[in-house]
Amino acid sequence: MAKNVTIVGVGALGSHLVQFLRSEDIDIRVIDFDRVEQKNVQSQFHGKPSVGKLKVDALKQSMQFLYGKKISTVSHRLVYNNDNELLKGDLIIDCLDNGEAREIVQKYARLYEVPCLHGALAPDGSFGRVIWDEKFVIDSEAGQGGATCENGEFLPFIAITSAYLARAAQIFLATGKKTGFSISPTGVVAV
Amino acid sequence: MEEITNNLIPNTEARVNVTYSGQNGDLSDTVFFESTDGDVRSWVTEAVQNGSIPGINAAADADFGDFVVDRFAATEDRPYNLIQLRPKTPFGK
Repeated sequence: MAKNVTIVGVGALGSHLVQFLRSEDIDIRVIDFDRVEQKNVQSQFHGKPSVGKLKVDALKQSMQFLYGKKISTVSHRLVYNNDNELLKGDLIIDCLDNGEAREIVQKYARLYEVPCLHGALAPDGSFGRVIWDEKFVIDSEAGQGGATCENGEFLPFIAITSAYLARAAQIFLATGKKTGFSISPTGVVAV
Repeated sequence: MEEITNNLIPNTEARVNVTYSGQNGDLSDTVFFESTDGDVRSWVTEAVQNGSIPGINAAADADFGDFVVDRFAATEDRPYNLIQLRPKTPFGK
C-alpha cells in the first residue's frame, strides 16, 4: 500500500520537492493557503499561467498535466486548532517559511511520533538544511524579507536543496533510515 | 583506551565546517566536540579573517555573531563528529 506523504508549504522548496517525488509510489498531500504571485515564477515550480491561483491548485494541475500524477490538496493556513485535521501521513515534510508554523508542525510530529523532515534556506541562498526533526532547531527569522523567494538568482540552489530533500525522503521511504544534509553552494555534508 | 571514530579523529574531537558568503570549508584542526559556541565562533572568526580556511576567501570584517553552531555526532555515513557554523535558515517557501 502506498505511503502517505504530507508536504507543508509549496513555495520554493515544497513546489520543487513535489515534482522531484513524482516517480515515488506514494500518495502526496500538499498544504498551503497562499496564491502564486508573479515574483514566485522566477524561483518556484509554478508557471506564469498559475499566477493568481492557489499554489496547491496550481501544483495539482501542473502535476496532472505534465506527469499524470495525482496529488491531494489542502488550501488552509496551518494553525494550532486545525493541526490534528491537516497534519496526517506516514511522513511530514516541512517546507514552511516561518517559525510559528514550523513550531506547530514540530509539536505535532513529536506528540504523535510522526517522522518529520524539515527543509530550510538562508535568506541569501548561501545555505540549505535538510534535517530530521530529532536534530532540528527552529532558527529565528531575523533574515525574513530577504531575496530567497523573489530572485531567480537562487533558483539552482533552491532546486538543489529540494533535490536533497527528495533524496532524504526517498531513502527513508525505502529503508527507514533518516539521512540529513547540510548544503552550501560549494558542497554537501551528510548530517 | 580512547575510542577512535575514524582513522584520524578521536570521538572527543570534531571537524569544524564553516559556511560564509556562499563559500564552504573546514578549520584545519579539529576541536574538542564540547567546545563552547563562543569559542567556536571566535576560532572561526580569526581563521576567516586570516584566510586560513581552504575554500573561504580571507575577509577582514568577517563576523559570525548571528551564525548558528550545530553539533552532529558521528554516524555510519560520517564517521567523525561535526560542528557546523552556518547562517540562519528561516525560509522554506
